[in-house]
Amino acid sequence: MNEANFDLVVVGGGAAGFNAALSCRARYPEKRVVLVDQEPEVGYYRTLLPMFMAGKLPEEKLFFWRPGEGMGLEVRTNVKVRSLDRQAKRLTLESGETLGYQCLILAPGGRPVVPPVFERSVTPDGVFPVRSLGVAREIKAWLLAHRDIVVLGGGLVGSKTSVFLRLAGFSVTLVEREAHILPTVLSANTARPLQRHLENMGVRVCTGTTIDRFKADAAGAVKAVRLATGEWVPCGTFLVGIGSTPDVGFIRETDLMRDGELVVSTTLQTVDPAIFAIGDAVAIQTPDGARAHPWTWPQAVAQGKLAGTNAFSASPRPLKRTTRVNAQNISGVPLMILGGPGVGSSIEARPGPGEGVWREFFLDDSRIVGGALVGDIAGAGPLHFTMANAEDVSQRVAGLLAPRTRAFRPSTWTRLGQSYRARNFAVKESTPC
Amino acid sequence: MKVIAVHVDRCTGCKTCELFCATERGSEGKTLLKAVQETPLPQARVRVEGGDGVSVPLQCRHCLDAPCLDACLTGALARDEETGMVWVKDDRCIGCWTCVMFCPYGVIYPWAERKMALKCDRCMHMESSACVDVCPTRALEIVEINQLGEVFAEKRRSAASVAAAVAGKGGAVVLDLAK
Ligand SMILES: Cc1cc2nc3c(=O)[nH]c(=O)nc-3n(C[C@H](O)[C@H](O)[C@H](O)COP(=O)(O)OP(=O)(O)OC[C@H]3O[C@@H](n4cnc5c(N)ncnc54)[C@H](O)[C@@H]3O)c2cc1C
Repeated sequence: MNEANFDLVVVGGGAAGFNAALSCRARYPEKRVVLVDQEPEVGYYRTLLPMFMAGKLPEEKLFFWRPGEGMGLEVRTNVKVRSLDRQAKRLTLESGETLGYQCLILAPGGRPVVPPVFERSVTPDGVFPVRSLGVAREIKAWLLAHRDIVVLGGGLVGSKTSVFLRLAGFSVTLVEREAHILPTVLSANTARPLQRHLENMGVRVCTGTTIDRFKADAAGAVKAVRLATGEWVPCGTFLVGIGSTPDVGFIRETDLMRDGELVVSTTLQTVDPAIFAIGDAVAIQTPDGARAHPWTWPQAVAQGKLAGTNAFSASPRPLKRTTRVNAQNISGVPLMILGGPGVGSSIEARPGPGEGVWREFFLDDSRIVGGALVGDIAGAGPLHFTMANAEDVSQRVAGLLAPRTRAFRPSTWTRLGQSYRARNFAVKESTPC
Repeated sequence: MKVIAVHVDRCTGCKTCELFCATERGSEGKTLLKAVQETPLPQARVRVEGGDGVSVPLQCRHCLDAPCLDACLTGALARDEETGMVWVKDDRCIGCWTCVMFCPYGVIYPWAERKMALKCDRCMHMESSACVDVCPTRALEIVEINQLGEVFAEKRRSAASVAAAVAGKGGAVVLDLAK
């Protein structure tokens, strides 16, 4: 049996794993690093797939790395990890080959959740999860002849996919089980203007229902799906975006898991200090004992870079932020999501001015814990960091809801741990204007 | 690394920097007269903010550990290796505004009409920076970041005389446009 040994093995070549491998190479050029991924291609922007599928982005713009660009990195694609032996410090691949490691970074991301309607039957053609480049290519090709689309799941991926496809001229029906779109991150108030905007674009939005049956044609391709209301919606393409679940099957038998989750500390280490885990696959145990699940692209990148430098460090550094924030431009309507409400958090909101504008915060003990800005994103950056720094905002809520300026108090600027702080010279008291 | 420093005490809030930044970097015509007639209206990468008697031109600080670089979903934001500046590759920016949300200083500006994030890159590909050239009070200055300490020392030395001069004019700031 084939056996190879490395200083660092990275499992998963998404945003998290790729950045981990690159930052480790940059920091420790003498280390032998290998990155393995089950997909045929790695180093692409998953976030751009909806635009790509809709035919609005040339394929070359999807990639941030191409084979041959090396950077001293050994990349193996089409390689699936089957199991992990912690004692022997060894991974076994589907091929039977083994990879020994000194340090291991797990970045397997998530895999798409399968809707119950397909759980006990053969999935017809024309049904696709929105997650990988391989499938996105299939979708793009399939859409040419199947322009009536039903998208299941009104979360971020489903909404974004619907918008790009609609903009490209496809007929789109978006189905969301809860009472409004983006139910886990938006309140009904902030979701309402967005939902209206989608409808004005020509997306049919069906909330409070799901798909319970489907029909396929003689060739085995989907031709209609049934809403729980009993209505049949004809469609040639059925896209699934109802979330993802950590792809951690290959370590389920190890004792790295806690209550079914792959938990890491803020230094991104698992219970085994030689094993790091990052990205959409993990839960981060914060110092206050809570578990954060910041499954976003910016987090995957930041965690990857940190894990890569922490890998061989005697004093690993903690992650600066665990916020799960998200920004989208829903065809002209800017949207900033700070996070869903916590249990018992209070709400401060400001509708308008103007149609479709809503700014809202969830507060817990005078600290912002979530909220959203729809239509007016002034001050979004400083606001995000006000939340991330857990600043007391009791005296500032009105100003944050309706900021006079786009940047806030200088104190926010100077508390960020940046190497180059505010580059302004001090204001003198006698400054006249 | 060369950066734009701001002398807050010299800024009068006139917004000349905004006008000329928008004209030079955002317009087709490159003159103020042509720029104001363009649609969409050219936007500036520096914004004068303030109130309560204090105004300050804000632009990108090119943080060493820049959160916007990690946040970009499309590969549009990059750091120029030679100058150290963080800049936006216009052709890759789709205007999702994720970087806007990850700028702690609020100095990445969404330009909705052009679906493009705007930020200061110190006009790194030009001979000099538009805003610095036009500032009538020399509130903006290009400095080498390692020499900031010296600038601060010079500032402290001159602070007393500036304060005295200002007080002597009854609080009015003298703009010496000839300098
Ligand atoms: C369509 C879409 C749009 C999105 N839009 C946004 C957005 O606008 N903003 C935002 O913040 N986030 C967005 N996201 C989420 C973002 O893409 C993810 O948070 C991010 O990609 C997570 O990166 P990751 O490296 O943890 O996981 P992934 O990118 O999922 O990478 C994991 C990799 O590991 C591989 N792998 C898994 N198991 C194994 C194994 N056993 N052996 C070998 N390889 C394995 C997988 O094949 C995969 O390539 C979007 C996601 C999708 C799907």
